[in-house]
Amino acid sequence: MKKFMAIALVVLMALPVFAACSNNETYEIALVTDVGNIDDKSFNEGAWNGVKEYAEANGISYNYYRPSEDTTAARVETIATAVEKGAKVVVCPGFLFEEAIYQVQDMEQYANVQFLLLDGEPHDADYNYKTGANVHCILYQEEQAGFFAGYAAVMDGYRSLGFLGGMAVPAVQRFGYGFVQGCDAAAEALGLNANDVTIKYWYSGVFSANDDIKTKMSGWYTEGVEVVFACGGGIYLSAVQAATEANGKVIGVDVDQSSESELIITSAMKGLTDSVKIALTDLYANEGKWPEDQAGKTATLGAAQNCVGLPTAEGSWRFNTFTVEQYNELFTKVVNGEIVVSADVSAAPAVKLVSVDYQA
Amino acid sequence: MKSFLNRVFRSKGFSSFIASLVSIVVGLLVGLIVLLFFDSAHAMNGFRHIVTAGLSDPGKLAKVFYQAAPLIMTGLSVGFAFKTGLFNIGATGQYTIGAFCGLFCALQFHSPWYVALLAAMLGGAIWGAIPGLCKAFFNVNEVITSIMFNWIGLFLVNLIFSNMPELLAVGNRTIAIGSESMIPKLGLDKLFGSPYMNASIIIAVVFAVVSWIILTKTTFGYELRACGFNRNASVYAGINAKRSIILSMVIAGAFAGIGGGIYYLNGTAQYTLEKSLLSMGFNGIPVALLASSHPLGTIFGALFVSYIQVGGEAMQPEFVKEIIDIIIAIIIYLAAFSLLTKEIIAKIVKGKRRNAVELSAPAEPSAAPAQTTNDNGGVEK
Amino acid sequence: MSEYVIEMLNITKEFPGIKANDDITLQLRQGEIHALLGENGAGKSTLMSVLFGLYQPDKGIIKKDGKEVKINNPNDANALHIGMVHQHFKLVEVFSVLDNIILGVEPGKLGFLQKQEARKSVIELSERYGLKVDPDARIEDISVGMQQRVEILKMLYRDNDILIFDEPTAVLTPQEIDELMDIMRGFKNEGKSILFITHKLNEIMAVADRCTVLRKGKCIATVDIKSTNKQELSRMMVGRDISFTVDKKESSPGDVVLNVEGLTVASKVHKNNAVKNVSFNVRKGEIVCLAGIEGNGQTEFVMALTGLEKPVKGRIALNGHDITHAPIRKRSQLGMSHIPEDRHKYGLVLDFTLEENFVLQRYWDKQFQNGGFINKKAVRDYSEKLIEQYDVRSGQGPLTIARSMSGGNQQKAIVAREIDKDPDLLVAVQPTRGLDVGAIEYIHRQIVAHRDEGKAVLLVSLELDEVMNVSDRILVMYEGEIVGEFDPQKTNVQELGLFMAGAARKTPSATDESEANNA
Repeated sequence: MKKFMAIALVVLMALPVFAACSNNETYEIALVTDVGNIDDKSFNEGAWNGVKEYAEANGISYNYYRPSEDTTAARVETIATAVEKGAKVVVCPGFLFEEAIYQVQDMEQYANVQFLLLDGEPHDADYNYKTGANVHCILYQEEQAGFFAGYAAVMDGYRSLGFLGGMAVPAVQRFGYGFVQGCDAAAEALGLNANDVTIKYWYSGVFSANDDIKTKMSGWYTEGVEVVFACGGGIYLSAVQAATEANGKVIGVDVDQSSESELIITSAMKGLTDSVKIALTDLYANEGKWPEDQAGKTATLGAAQNCVGLPTAEGSWRFNTFTVEQYNELFTKVVNGEIVVSADVSAAPAVKLVSVDYQA
Repeated sequence: MKSFLNRVFRSKGFSSFIASLVSIVVGLLVGLIVLLFFDSAHAMNGFRHIVTAGLSDPGKLAKVFYQAAPLIMTGLSVGFAFKTGLFNIGATGQYTIGAFCGLFCALQFHSPWYVALLAAMLGGAIWGAIPGLCKAFFNVNEVITSIMFNWIGLFLVNLIFSNMPELLAVGNRTIAIGSESMIPKLGLDKLFGSPYMNASIIIAVVFAVVSWIILTKTTFGYELRACGFNRNASVYAGINAKRSIILSMVIAGAFAGIGGGIYYLNGTAQYTLEKSLLSMGFNGIPVALLASSHPLGTIFGALFVSYIQVGGEAMQPEFVKEIIDIIIAIIIYLAAFSLLTKEIIAKIVKGKRRNAVELSAPAEPSAAPAQTTNDNGGVEK
Repeated sequence: MSEYVIEMLNITKEFPGIKANDDITLQLRQGEIHALLGENGAGKSTLMSVLFGLYQPDKGIIKKDGKEVKINNPNDANALHIGMVHQHFKLVEVFSVLDNIILGVEPGKLGFLQKQEARKSVIELSERYGLKVDPDARIEDISVGMQQRVEILKMLYRDNDILIFDEPTAVLTPQEIDELMDIMRGFKNEGKSILFITHKLNEIMAVADRCTVLRKGKCIATVDIKSTNKQELSRMMVGRDISFTVDKKESSPGDVVLNVEGLTVASKVHKNNAVKNVSFNVRKGEIVCLAGIEGNGQTEFVMALTGLEKPVKGRIALNGHDITHAPIRKRSQLGMSHIPEDRHKYGLVLDFTLEENFVLQRYWDKQFQNGGFINKKAVRDYSEKLIEQYDVRSGQGPLTIARSMSGGNQQKAIVAREIDKDPDLLVAVQPTRGLDVGAIEYIHRQIVAHRDEGKAVLLVSLELDEVMNVSDRILVMYEGEIVGEFDPQKTNVQELGLFMAGAARKTPSATDESEANNA
């Protein structure tokens, strides 16, 4: 008993010693992950690579933090931790941070902290949007990414395609309409006849996989759809399930999803790494504050900034006839404005050759 | 005064308490050693955070309470079943169903918080009743049934939610609940300056006391405990053992269900369609072990586990989340060894006391009634 | 060559809270039967466990043939040719007799079992010592006496010449006991040395050469049997004079309290019924004893009588109420008390306190509860009353955890609880099993006192002494049937033994009546 007491006493006495030896290391650039880890092959990893590359190149301290759970409250809490640890810039990848940033942007203690919100804009629970002066948002030209995917699929020989959207929100619509435009452009480039290429187009209304979506996709594949562009969170799982049974193909979204399934022939990507580096460069060029044209504003980055595209790495390029060279050529045309992809979501895009079946 | 202290020191509760305390200290020390192993440069600082962060500011303390409340409930759930001889490893399933029922009432019907909480309780109770029924009538081990019902519950909830898109927000999570369905904050959130703080910790403590009263003061609790310690003897005493088993699981399930309810009706938590079982339910097991299944001890066990978790979070970013989780697990795991520690302490104390007795007085009348039962005393067949 | 084959010198073994062996010296001569006598808790089993390598002594040494040896485990003991027949047999139920005998020392060549050799030597051994067994029978199919022979053969097969018998007669019929005695004498003539643990004085007087008496962990004396008698031995064992007979008045039976008609109960282990068409009455003011060898349906009968099992058919009436299918509590309320056979399994909640155990049958009574809440004060007062009245000894009074009490006091607590309910019918199953002489005497007195108050008692016992001493009427049960009814004044142990072993039967009148009724 005495021994235990002794140990207990030693520990208790040692506590103040710990307190004394606190070393206050600080980290200037902080990445707060949405909830997952920095090796999630998705937004967190992309953004983290941007933070890391920029910070190491410029000799700035950096680190990342993970919220204790997947809630807005936990993300707010983790942002606070990051700031306590000396963060001057907090990078927040993903739309899950929209409400969290909305809550912290006006707080007094964060007045001198700069936030970078990727792929989202701050709003409250009722979707009232407002971006504070210490926040810079980056959105992506989804229509361009969708355009590349559609163009490549048709060039590779797919004639019957499908677009599976999540909710009909602008970001998803831009992907979809860009996809349609891409298919149309490829049909024209190949000199196909009208209606040689058909597209079925449907919004599931949710961002998670469920049986209804899978049933619908199975129907599409049975009706002859060869490839479905699954655009919206977890719904790609339903598409992949249906594709597996029907031997169809799927196009991924946001990040390179080729590792998720062999059936994913390509992905309409957003370039997080580059966009983070661009934003941080601008920030530090302006003495650590968002420059006038970025503070409280949203930048929409696209091919010109190398922030959208298809994955061209060895294992991710799964086209048979369409080559990386052809893709690069197309990319250049979009960059220098030879090809303009409409970002208008007020109405379906005008098409020349493809027939689009907009399903309710 | 001296005799009072003496009584306290010799009481069962006190020795359990000391055992838990020693276990916690041992757990912390081992945690420290592991920390040193991972990153000796930051170990001390990290350890300081584990030990002190929970009390470093009111917001952190609020988080401790916030997480402790559902932990108390799942701890009570596991502990209550333990007391009646059942191992409720299904607390996480009951917790999930409770969370679902609470959220469903809140989201679909915008019902007031107490109605939603009642629904959570009922949901958990039903989910607990099933393994209880299987055990009572078909003698199916409750561990197996409740493990299966953990998964059934999880995927059932996911299935229902994903087919009710109007209840889901972007990112596979439930939409925010209305303020009428939130557990009342009673101004505590302002007091602590944290949105985490509300009445749920009070609710949990009330249930802990209720659980304690049921177990120790009522004939019903007497029946449950008798049945838990010795099923045959309770049958012999005319106790309906089947009923006891079922009711015990129903109550355990109700506790876990309330845990899920108070956590997700807080307003800060969002239910995400997870593919893995919720850890809050499983963490009830170490909480119950730490408390030796004592309902009131559960309060402190849950506070400790929550405190360590909050402290662990504060170790970021020097330590990555995975290592933090390991450290937290080690500390909680070792702390839950309190039963073992208790035996060790008992041995040491007994040894000391006997030596003392032999030195001072040759005999202590009727103080050592324990005869070795191995001498022909074995009547068990 | 030393005079002694085994010497245990100044053995001290302590357990937390108790000195189980305190400076005990035991010397075993070549070719003698040496009895080890003592009450429960006297330290007999501990001492033998030390010899068998299960415990290490704190102090003292063991010598074999005059040389000091260290026995760290049963294998060491085996190597020194020490063998033990445990009180509870250590046999594999689903193995054959032969397999059990050779288990652990299987003869083999290149990893293949050589059973033929083993069979030959086992048959040889069994013929030489008159231990008849069927080598191919499965253990679960043979009688307890047979199983004990298997245990003995196990020792012989291992060439043991120091044989320890731990309470070997507890499970045997009188005839089987006689046979065992003969076998032991045979071993002695072969030059083997036997340690015979028992608390039955008759057996010691019959077979032993010398006897060492233990009391409370201390060695009282080692005496020559020729120069002593039962009274002296018992005085040494208990520390005071003990009466071997129960003083009681003539019984004067009154109205029928318990009426059992054609009761049939299924067996849990085999397809046949364990209890077959049993009928009898128990009347006020008499002690009826159900005698028989273990496993002849008494357990199942009591289960059905007390409501722990459902009978297949038949009728049980208590004070005129049909309770055949009544729940246990109803039976209790109608005036039945039950001292169960297995006090740890049924009689007590070992992790409850003594006071909680005292109200196990009555906690729901208005006296002890109020609106669902237990009246702690009433429980405490009642417990203190019982402790006082029935002399239940424990460390912390009402708050003692039942598990920490001695077997005798646990049993006293159960007896106190059941008798204090003042039941019209007391069902006492093996109420003195495993208890020492003092406790047995006490419990017998309580049972007789209960009878004298004009209540009915049904005693189920395996101990013939108890059967003969306590009961007013004896019913012998064999293979689930009542094969004879006796007046203890007009019968003897030998006659009962024959009936218990199934060698004789006479149909008691009660069965006649019921059969007539059924027909």
